[in-house]
Amino acid sequence: MKVSLFITCLSDALYPRVGEAMVRLLAKYGVTLEFPTVQTCCGQPAFNSGYWKEARDSAKTILDAFEDSDFVISPSGSCTGMIHHYPKLFEDDPVMLKRANRLQSKSFEFTQFMVQVLGVTDVGASFPHKVTYHPSCHGSRILGVKAEPLALIQNVKGLELVPLPFAEDCCGFGGTFAVKMADISGAMVTEKVDHVLETEAEVLVGLDMACLLNIAGNLRYRNEPVRVMHLAELLYEGVK
Amino acid sequence: MAGSKTEATVKARADLALNDEFLRKAVRFTTERLRNGKKKATDEHGNWEEWRERGKQIRLHTIAHLDYYLNLFVNNARANGVHVHFANNAEEAVGLTLDIAEHANAKSVVKSKSMVSEELHLNHALESINVEAVETDLGEYIIQLAGEMPSHIVIPAIHKNRYQIADLLSKEAGYTLPPDTTALAGFVRKKLREKFLEAEIGMTGCNFAIAETGSMVLFENEGNARMVSTVPKTQITLMGMERIIPSWSDLEVMATLLPRSATGQKLTMYMSGITGPRRDKDADGPDEMHIIIIDNGRSLQLGDPEFQELLNCIRCGACLNACPVYRHIGGHAYGSTYSGPIGAVLTPSLNKNIAEWDDIANASSLCGACYEACPVKIPLHDMLVYLRRRKVESGNGSKIEAIGMQGFATVMGNSSRLGGVLRLGKLGQKLVVRSGVIKTKLGPLKGWNTYRVTPSLPKESFRDRWDTLDQELKQGLKQMEPSMQNRMEELVRKREQDEKQGKGGHGHG
Amino acid sequence: MADTHKQWLEKLEANSRTKQEQFMNDIAAKLRHPRMYEKPQHPFRGAPDFWNTFEWTEEERIKGFTENFLSVGGHVARLQTMEDVKAYIVNKAEEMSAKYVVRQNEPELAALDLEGSLAESQVSVWNTDADQYWRARAAEADFGIVMADHAVAYTGSVTVLSSPEKGRSVSLLPTVLIIIIPLERLKTRLGEVLVTFDEAGREKLPAGIHFISGPSRSSDIENDLTIGVHGPGIVYALLVG
Repeated sequence: MKVSLFITCLSDALYPRVGEAMVRLLAKYGVTLEFPTVQTCCGQPAFNSGYWKEARDSAKTILDAFEDSDFVISPSGSCTGMIHHYPKLFEDDPVMLKRANRLQSKSFEFTQFMVQVLGVTDVGASFPHKVTYHPSCHGSRILGVKAEPLALIQNVKGLELVPLPFAEDCCGFGGTFAVKMADISGAMVTEKVDHVLETEAEVLVGLDMACLLNIAGNLRYRNEPVRVMHLAELLYEGVK
Repeated sequence: MAGSKTEATVKARADLALNDEFLRKAVRFTTERLRNGKKKATDEHGNWEEWRERGKQIRLHTIAHLDYYLNLFVNNARANGVHVHFANNAEEAVGLTLDIAEHANAKSVVKSKSMVSEELHLNHALESINVEAVETDLGEYIIQLAGEMPSHIVIPAIHKNRYQIADLLSKEAGYTLPPDTTALAGFVRKKLREKFLEAEIGMTGCNFAIAETGSMVLFENEGNARMVSTVPKTQITLMGMERIIPSWSDLEVMATLLPRSATGQKLTMYMSGITGPRRDKDADGPDEMHIIIIDNGRSLQLGDPEFQELLNCIRCGACLNACPVYRHIGGHAYGSTYSGPIGAVLTPSLNKNIAEWDDIANASSLCGACYEACPVKIPLHDMLVYLRRRKVESGNGSKIEAIGMQGFATVMGNSSRLGGVLRLGKLGQKLVVRSGVIKTKLGPLKGWNTYRVTPSLPKESFRDRWDTLDQELKQGLKQMEPSMQNRMEELVRKREQDEKQGKGGHGHG
Repeated sequence: MADTHKQWLEKLEANSRTKQEQFMNDIAAKLRHPRMYEKPQHPFRGAPDFWNTFEWTEEERIKGFTENFLSVGGHVARLQTMEDVKAYIVNKAEEMSAKYVVRQNEPELAALDLEGSLAESQVSVWNTDADQYWRARAAEADFGIVMADHAVAYTGSVTVLSSPEKGRSVSLLPTVLIIIIPLERLKTRLGEVLVTFDEAGREKLPAGIHFISGPSRSSDIENDLTIGVHGPGIVYALLVG
């Protein structure tokens, strides 16, 4: 069985530690990942901006990269969510559409794979800190990933989970939105960070590095020491 | 079409709103109250997903057979004694209204809340023939006195505080009213009572029209819609052509979805079904009743697979209350009658001028909260992307962005090019990285870095690290538990089976 | 005016009928199907099945209605007989010094003999004198008194239907509204009442069907709840039986 890693651009370029933590954690369960290096970006920035021709070019590299994989796992609900848009992107091309549907059905976000496929909700980690959790929009709304991360978090020993007020509100990232509508996006991330600070948590954990990049950027800008982590990192640190 | 569209772009209008601390607080407070109310009401009612799905199916079915149902409604309404009219656009609707007003020798028209009427800018037209138009919904009355547009579908004066309202009403009263809600509402009750009894015409919108009996249904809390449809001699109802539902039984589903989604109420204080004018021997109700059925861009969505569902909208405003962008910029920043996520999609769709309005479509982070809130499951976040795509495909996209996206495609179409760009980035950032982060407000990072810092690229990317990592992990390889192994194999088998049977798409999630 | 009102309406109707065909043909063309004249299959009519079997016992209905009606600022009294209803109304009218009372022209209300019992009030019976402007009578009334045609416990709503004997204004224009609900008319779900209108059919429907779920309200000024904006601000629901 071929289980592949879909690293996503952000984790590849900016946060390799997240991909590494995920790979190492999965290895503990005997999941051997292969990494097709021909993969690039899922195409979401182009897709969301309306440049579907360009998005298709990008999507094709992803389809090629994972053509013969049985499972495709990524540390991002948003990039996995983009794969769920591929059938729409190729709706007029029966051959590509078939491939797109196939890729969609075998793609999993990290916690989805852990809980739904491996059946693991307790990795045996210990992490004695006050933690709050931001559920990213695309993971929770496109993929419906809501219970999985909470199960994994709640089973970590010593971890105190503080609910994040208005947790389901978008952090304001939205890809090119953060650049095109910088002030609206800025107001949104400022409010999100206000809520994070209200919890007095030491750590903010999430499932998507794009959102976390945004929130961490505002935290650092305001010189707030809250540590920002991907759940894979937190879990791996807890079992190390 | 936009009445108070003073600034040219949504960005400029949003900036005005972002700098108005009262507005932002008021909008945040109200949307949170409504959103919490909805959450409480839907949790308490239970099975919300089943209700949403049922609501969606009823709306889908009706719109897919709209020629049948609308025609049935018209024939039944006529049989009830209603004068039914058709307007292809705002101009025709206004023309019909003025014609009716002239024949009724009307000096004044009392109106209950109607988004369609806002869409037509009817009050100005009535004033042009010296007919006074009086909005009687408390919030609408306030913004009419202020000369503004509603900033929320359900709570039109969301952006005004009691002091501003006291000033407006004091001017109308000719004496000073205290900034006290009860006193202000009391003044309006008294003032508008006179107007209801004087007016020759009452004008309403229409929440739903029941095809099988030709009845029109109104939801409200104040009683003003009942007033305008009970007291004046002539009633005019403005109705979007898509307001139809087949039966009273279907109304139960809409009545379950609409008030809960709008305000968290189990039902609005009044729900009225009006079937024709006053019966011969009745002592109240209008002598003459007109229904004007309005297209005004709605039929452009019919047969468009990406936008037809837009006609399912029941105007509850839940998407506004859920939207984090709306919360920060308020309704006026959308520059049109309809605001929030529904407005961002509806305005360009009704006007068929995607090029002009697409900057509204850009005012969204595509978080999907609108879809999740929508009681009839309209995929507004997807429609926003379709609008953006149509603008690009019609050649109206930004030239700079187009070049950027071509560059993106060139890099992302090939992993070795991507690797090259990352290496370049690492070289380039040496100029701007300070203690591990980038703070410069020059160039493309200006907007981003006004609110954040940017992390620097690490020494090694994941793909640089992979070989070492892979080697290391292969040394200590572990055997997978048989139960996991079985589950994975089972999933693959099931997927292959599904594919053979032609079931594409979702295998999970 | 050159044409009479009737001629003008006839002209409008002729225009409307022509336009109706264009309108419907255009819709059908855009939906890419031939004009539909046959009733389509509607597999999703009404509420989901699981809901249609939901039913409360009488005690639950009373409890549910009462809680809902109270929660929006209405008043509820649980009474045994119409004699109790009469005493209740007389008492309220005296307590609030009601000068003008308007009631529907219904036998149950006539049997209360409010006209004879409310010494201090002038009681008018809806539409009993063709020369009266009844809307104004209702507007000046302190109390409006109506019988409920139906009531719904789950939403805390009362339904009133219009007729020559039952004015729409009586439940709308007075300051205080008193609604008498015989218990056998109190149903669990909204759908139980709505379906009766489908069953009755177009020709049997009254001009006005009104569901009332409490006093008139608005939160349009700074979200601050105000009661009695246009409709009655004080509403009594009297459950009888």
